[in-house]
This record gives sequence, structure tokens and C-alpha cells, in this order.
Amino acid sequence: MKTAFAYWDKRIAPVFDTARQIHVIESRSGRIVCEAPKTLEGDLPIQKALSLYELGVGTLVCGAISKYLNEIVAAYGIRVFPFVAGDLQEVIQAWLKGTLISDAFAMPGCSGRRNFNGTAQDGGRGQRRGGRCRRHMGGAL
Amino acid sequence: MDKEAPMKKGKKKSCITLTPSEIILESISDGVFTVDLDWCITSFNRAAEDITGVSRREAIGRKCSDVFRSSMCGETCSLQQTVKTGTPVIGKSGYIIDSDGNRVPISISTAELRDADGNLIGAAETFRDLSEVEALRNELKGKYQVCDLVSRSPLMLRIFEVLPAMASSPSTVLILGETGTGKELMARTIHSLSARTQGPFITVNSWALPDTLLESELFGYKAGAFTGANKDKPGRFALARGGTLFIDEMGEVSPALQVRLLRVLQERTYEPLGATRTETADVRVIVATSKDLGEQMRKGLFREDLYYRVNVIRIELPPLRRRKEDIPLLVEQFIQRFNRLQQRSVQGITSEALSLLMAYDWPGNIRELENAIERSFILCNTGLIGLGHLPEDLTAHGVMECTESNARSAHDTLDVQSILAALERNDFNRLAAARDIGIHKTTLFRRMKKLGISIPARDGRSDKKH
Repeated sequence: MKTAFAYWDKRIAPVFDTARQIHVIESRSGRIVCEAPKTLEGDLPIQKALSLYELGVGTLVCGAISKYLNEIVAAYGIRVFPFVAGDLQEVIQAWLKGTLISDAFAMPGCSGRRNFNGTAQDGGRGQRRGGRCRRHMGGAL
Repeated sequence: MDKEAPMKKGKKKSCITLTPSEIILESISDGVFTVDLDWCITSFNRAAEDITGVSRREAIGRKCSDVFRSSMCGETCSLQQTVKTGTPVIGKSGYIIDSDGNRVPISISTAELRDADGNLIGAAETFRDLSEVEALRNELKGKYQVCDLVSRSPLMLRIFEVLPAMASSPSTVLILGETGTGKELMARTIHSLSARTQGPFITVNSWALPDTLLESELFGYKAGAFTGANKDKPGRFALARGGTLFIDEMGEVSPALQVRLLRVLQERTYEPLGATRTETADVRVIVATSKDLGEQMRKGLFREDLYYRVNVIRIELPPLRRRKEDIPLLVEQFIQRFNRLQQRSVQGITSEALSLLMAYDWPGNIRELENAIERSFILCNTGLIGLGHLPEDLTAHGVMECTESNARSAHDTLDVQSILAALERNDFNRLAAARDIGIHKTTLFRRMKKLGISIPARDGRSDKKH
């Protein structure tokens, strides 16, 4: 399963609703086996979700995302790890090590109250998901 | 502004003396923040905390885009534009995503920030929460709109709520509704909201074509399939590849063709007439009918398996007589359209004429209303459409003369209809009906009395008690 990181200017894009660039990685045992940047075509939420689905993305790591878009992406069976901030490479490394849950990568206003219970299926090692923002988003699975 | 002072002030307000500019910044309802040249936040006022849901403590020192999370962050960043060009941005609209995932509409303005020596040290952004303005605007305009569909009717709003979910599903949609209720427009809207929006929207009317022709229209044929078939002709299924196929008047399809349609819907494959190879039907199918398909199925006129295959997602469009509150909105829309098409400057419709339109039952539904407005454009070039401009067959239905008393009677008829409809919708609970119409209960009682609407022996309120 692949993980997509929405980014802009080498950082996690602040708003996924308007983001176009994603970095897709495929990993095994905490190591990247394949990676490539991709562009999301179309402005409609459904087009974004469909692009991710067609790329075989299983988890989306992104910045802020509206409830509506989150629900559509989740409807395609894609787990969402939202409200993440930081340098793209640092975020990817944290994801692989399973430390993305750290407050250091939380957007301001979204830290301290985390209870995510999903695990990264491919590369990330048991990212515990939660936080106020993420809980409100329906937990992204 | 001292970047930490306002935060300290939150805890020990009495110990900190604020400068006049800080007092102003803390008291205004617009959010204000400043950034340094690395785009890190250096100050964040109280309103900014309220609007974003991010505390000043968490915001200061962080990248502004991570805090502000606006649709303008990134390539279209106004702060960067201002720093780069020295030109302020004023009143640009967008939205931010708050900590709960809500989109909050805002307008922003930006300016450069320079020190006492005139050196550029960063930029300032002010932003205004437009949620209330937007809500009021929607309220005033009654803007309940999905693509080209506009309605303020509760019956339609319920459909609007589920439309995005329906559109995102690949399942077949069945649209039911009397003739002229806008079934094709609804189908187009579903197509526009779906992932197939870039693909074609192809329609076929089963009623308009004889059975054999309909079959070749739908599936196409190969050269030599029959006499006169000189070359291949793609069918509507092929033309709609990657898009949506809308089959109108599904209830008119013959039993033989129903079998072929069932196969396409089940297996997603079909064969054009005379073809030896099977084609894949890469289409989303939307069917519509003004007939009661369930009843036709019970009479043996419509296949049961096809009925259940098309009846996956079902939309029932109400007739115009059940959504009369939409008539003013629709009339306005039609006037705007015909003004555009016919280069006219009709400004609107008189209240008397509108009352007449609202008192009428519209058996032909929206299409009939549209025709009525189009015909009124023949007599009305400019100004307002009056009673005299409306088609004769409309006035023959009750209001023959353009008199005030008749207009009043039309008003009364409308009142009676709306009140009875609201009472029915609310199981004759008058309080709930008053809320539904948006008037006070005493106003409702007064109007019911004036219009002679009798109160049922057992109303919703008495039911509740039992």
C-alpha cells in the first residue's frame, strides 16, 4: 500500500483542498522501496479523491483538510492523517519511524489531545492517530 | 507590536501596560497577524485566535501558512506578493480551514512592515470572518443552489443534501417525477458533481423513438448489419464512454429492449447490432420516468429484475405545486435567462402577476412556468411583467381580470394552500406548521381564521398528548 504526502515548496501543503503536488512512497519495514512525485489533476474534491485512489494510495498524510473532502477521500477507503505540518522529508522520515504523532509535526491548535489508533500498514510503524483536529475529522478511519 | 506582550497580558492583565496600538489591535474584531521575512508569525491578536481557533502561544514562531491554513496559502500567497512587489492586497476573498475542519469564509488585506529606518522587516495581514455575512447573504438570496438547480423548498433541500454522495457513487440513479419537473437538469447536475464530469453527458428519450430505432440508437450498429447500414454507427453507450448516459422515459422501453438494458447494467457489456465483439459500457447510467415503475412492474409491463437494477439510488422530484415557494426564484431565473437570450431588459414581475402564478397549480410543472414567462416576453419588452402580459390560458384558470381584488384572491388561495400544506407536513400541529412557514403561531391562527381554514378535531398537538 502506498502513502501520499501532500506538499508545497518542500513542506507539507498547509491546505489539502487546494494542494496539487503529492509525494507518493511505497515502503517495507520502514524503508522506502519506491517513491515519486505526482500531480493531482482537477479542482473538484471527487477528482482529488479519485486521483489518489487510481494511484493506489492507501494513506494520505496532509495538512488541513475540510470535513467534506476528508469524507470523500475516506469513502474511497483511503486513510487520512490530517493536520500535519513540517518539512516534507522530515515528515516522511517520521512516518517511516512511526513518530509522526509527535507534537512537533502537528499543526498549531491540533496538538496535545491525540488518540489516533490506526497503524501505518506499509511503512510507518504504528502511528497513533488523534488530536482534536483529527478526532473531529472522523478519525480518518 | 511586541510579539509576546499580548500573551502575557492574558494572564496578568493588570501588570502589563499596553500601548494604544496594542489596545486597538486587541479590541477589534478583525484578525491581525504579522510575519518576519521567514514567514514566521511574530504577533497574533485576540480576534485572530477566535477566528482560527489557534492560541497566540501556539501561533507565535510558527510558519504563517501552518497557522492560517487558508485557500490562498501557497502559490497565491498575498503576503509573499506584497513583500515581493511592495503593493498591498486589499479585500481578497478565500477561506481558512479551522481546527474542526470547517471552511470559514474570509477576506484578507496585506501590507509591508518596515522598521523606523524604513527597512523591510516582514508583512502584516488582517482578515475578516465572513461567516455571518455569507449566512445572511444566503438567507437573503435564499441561495440554496447546487449547480444550476435552485430551490428553497424543504423537499428539494433534502435532495440537495444527498446529491454529492449520490454523484460520487457509480450506481445507477432512478429519477422519478411528473413531466416538466426537471429530471434532465437533475441528471446533468449529478453528472457535473461526479468524477465523470469531464466526460460526455449523453441523453436519449425512449418515448421519442420507435423500439427498433431506440435499440440502434443505444447500442449502435456495424456496417452491413441491415439494409442501408453502410457504415458503422456508434450508439449512445459508446458516445457516453467515460461519462453519463441519461435515458429519459424509461417506462416506455419495450420488454425486448428491457432485457438488453438489463444485461448492460448487470454485466457492463453490450454488442452493437451486427457486431461480433462485445463492447464494454464505461458509462454511469441515469434513468428517469414520469410513470410509476413499481405499478408497471406489478402489471407485468416492466421487468422486476430491471426495476431493482435501476432502483439503486432513487430521487423523487416534487411537482411544482408542492414547491410553490420556488416560483419567485424560478421566475427570476427565467427572466434573467430570456433577457440574456432575447437582449431584453425586463426588470421583474409585478406582485399581482406573481400571485397569480403562485395560485396556479402548474400541471406542466417548471416547463409550463418557463413557457409562460417566455410567452410574456412577447408582450413585455421592458419594465415589469404584469397580469396583462401573462398567457390567456393562465388567466382563464381563475383570474380573468387584472384587478386588485383578484390579485388579493390569488394571494388568499396561495395562503390557504401554503397553510394547508404546512399543516399536513406537520401532522396538523399548528405550532410546528407556523415554524415551518416561518411565522408566529398567533399569526397562523389569525390567518387560518380569516381564510376560513377549519381546525381538525384531532391535531398534532392533541396526538402528542395521547
